[in-house]
Amino acid sequence: MSDKKRSFKKSRIYVVLFALATALVFSVLITSAATMLKERQLENMALDKKTNLLEAAGLVPEDKKSTPEEIKQIYDAHIREVHVDPRGRIVETPADSSLQLYLIHSDQQVQGYIVPISTRGLWGKIHGYLAFEQDGETVAGFSVYSHSETPGLGGEIESNWFQENFKGKKILNASNQLVSVGIAKGKVENLPEKLQDHYVDGISGATLTGRYLSEGLEETLTKYESVSVIFRQKKGSQTHVETILDE
Amino acid sequence: MHIDLSHYKEILIKGVWRENPVAYQVLGICSALAVTVKMSTALVMSIALTLVAAFSGLIISSLRHWIPSNIRIIVELTVIASLVIVTDQILKAFLYDISKQLSIFVGLIITNCIILGRAEAFAMANNPADSFVDGIANGLGYSMILVAVAFLRELLGSGQFFGFSVIPQFLYDMGFQDMGIMVLAPGAFFIIGLLVWLKNSLPGVSHEKK
Repeated sequence: MSDKKRSFKKSRIYVVLFALATALVFSVLITSAATMLKERQLENMALDKKTNLLEAAGLVPEDKKSTPEEIKQIYDAHIREVHVDPRGRIVETPADSSLQLYLIHSDQQVQGYIVPISTRGLWGKIHGYLAFEQDGETVAGFSVYSHSETPGLGGEIESNWFQENFKGKKILNASNQLVSVGIAKGKVENLPEKLQDHYVDGISGATLTGRYLSEGLEETLTKYESVSVIFRQKKGSQTHVETILDE
Repeated sequence: MHIDLSHYKEILIKGVWRENPVAYQVLGICSALAVTVKMSTALVMSIALTLVAAFSGLIISSLRHWIPSNIRIIVELTVIASLVIVTDQILKAFLYDISKQLSIFVGLIITNCIILGRAEAFAMANNPADSFVDGIANGLGYSMILVAVAFLRELLGSGQFFGFSVIPQFLYDMGFQDMGIMVLAPGAFFIIGLLVWLKNSLPGVSHEKK
């Protein structure tokens, strides 16, 4: 290396040029990786949401992985995505006040409905689904598709044992009032008997995640109460998926 | 060019065992605490870190004659961060489920002291091939401790191995209970501490006598 070159490498202009070149090369690398993979990532996300929705509804087994084709096919055959107004009636054009809702049907007969859950967790948002039976008060399933809780602690909300416990829980108490489903501190069997139907086993070491999730579920179910009321009124009758939430 | 294999072996042994990044240099402790609750996350984290360590070593070492010394840390971090982001993007596109489980930990590789430490201490002074091997060696050394800690924590804390229950039910019936503390951060501190003690008291590896 010549002396001239060496002194240039010590100059400020070289430092600035080197920094610019590095920044340019690596930003191009990251941008191209992100853009090229974006489509696949979005597909993965959409598929993951659908899978979780079907898991909440109990339409696919949670311990076995289904292929993307199976998921799409089951989703199209059994799920109808709608928007409802605050009174629980379907609206054609979603407004700010309307709520997203998924109807579960089999041969066009309504089997239940799924409420999207979006609540605060300890470290970030928790997104998931809560499915109900046709009676409008029994939980059919629960699933989480996105969260930032600590793996092994709050992160257990995405594990099967936790989600399994939601099945069969009631959101109404003996006097038909909305009580939501809560996450217990510790085991449900240690609670008074009249509360056991409304709580699921807590996660040890994740008290705050449980508390936020309980609050979020209650808040969401209060918003969707009008929908649940309609389902409760039509309980037992065979209802067509197109008409259940019409006037 | 003659390739001296014993030379690479020396680098490997040094990184994996003699100067193990976690047990000897006590680096990368934060992530060793965070991802070792379960075997599956510890393993994928280990693989991701080993790859980033190897390739950042390779790239930084190739650039070492051109990097101005007064901005070298910034350049090293740029290389490391870019590699980590690309790794994260690839995981999201091709191994979506695993990337979901690792969530923030992949991003945290950027701040792992092992990678920056190796870049600064080794890659800036050695040739690219050596630096690549050194990255692999330190990655493996980190992985070894991580997997050992995760194995003990998952077994004692949740009675599981890779998510499968391995403690027989009759032990629970007899009154056996999972150790809740193992799932929490203190459990990791205890186990890492004990492992460091064990490693450094094995014959032939004591650093005090040298």
